[in-house]
Amino acid sequence: MTLFNYLRALALFYRLLLPQTALLSAVVLGATWLGAGLLNTPWPPRLGPGLVLMKLATFPVVAYLGQRLRPEQHWLFRNLHLSPGQLWAPVLVLDTVGFGAFVGLLNQLWA
Amino acid sequence: MGLMERNSTPHLLEADGIQLTLGGRVLLSDVYLRVTTGQVVGLLGRNGCGKSTLLQAVFGTQRVADASVRVDGRRVVPAYRQPGLLSYLPQVPLLPAHLTATGAARLLGVDVEQALAAFPELLEQRHRPVGELSGGTARLLEVLLLLHTNTAFSLLDEPFTGVMPVHIDALAQVIRDLKQRKGILLTDHRYAEVLALCDVVYLLHDGRLECLPDPLSGLRDRGYLK
Repeated sequence: MTLFNYLRALALFYRLLLPQTALLSAVVLGATWLGAGLLNTPWPPRLGPGLVLMKLATFPVVAYLGQRLRPEQHWLFRNLHLSPGQLWAPVLVLDTVGFGAFVGLLNQLWA
Repeated sequence: MGLMERNSTPHLLEADGIQLTLGGRVLLSDVYLRVTTGQVVGLLGRNGCGKSTLLQAVFGTQRVADASVRVDGRRVVPAYRQPGLLSYLPQVPLLPAHLTATGAARLLGVDVEQALAAFPELLEQRHRPVGELSGGTARLLEVLLLLHTNTAFSLLDEPFTGVMPVHIDALAQVIRDLKQRKGILLTDHRYAEVLALCDVVYLLHDGRLECLPDPLSGLRDRGYLK
């Protein structure tokens, strides 16, 4: 498989997961917003290890939801000779970086 | 480079040592299976007897301890990770609904016009999302794309399901043409079509795989055909 085709497959995989990752990112931000209201923690949240860990902890849920909602989706990727790790690792990094960039943007806007 | 591109000598796919117990029931028991390029091999058996599980064990997505899947004597587990070796059509839909035939073909490295050439009405719909096609048309598309992937072997789980009778003969002819360059292992409940197509027929019964020297009488004797 060429690098270009791999990136294409990765984009398709990410697109299939995007509704779940976006929803759970919103849940994480919603929890920090709630925390800001109840516990007087800062809002928008600072990008630190705690927030990144919270975001990373959503991925098992994303995987579970993907498996429940579209149990058949992995067959196409196996036919492209891609292992779960080759798909999940870049998506995990990309989505977490995207989330971090969004939190950074929120901090800029609120500053 | 795919296995098929390296040389034109026949390749041998073998799977053995496949034993699987699910929920206390022995599903597969010490199965041995072989397919060579240039062959269409049928895998028959009743619903729930383990045909799909066996195909997935060969493909490598169903983990089976001690399973040995070999190509030309070389162990390839999980086989799906080897480029140019296997493609697998599952019973469930393969392609995401928003993907078009053209997009799927591009991903799979298939020439869409060549793959759909025997089905002009399907070729006309190659730019439509799969989700807009009827179930049978989408199934036909998936079978054709996987058959045309550059792999030495294709494993097809119920390729005729939902396909219009008028298309089944044409699809069978495509399979016959393609077996010149690949080995095809298929399972389907349309026994008449499978028997007419296959060079070798295996029957999976009570977890054991039996190669039927005379498939028609073998199936009749065992009550699979009237």
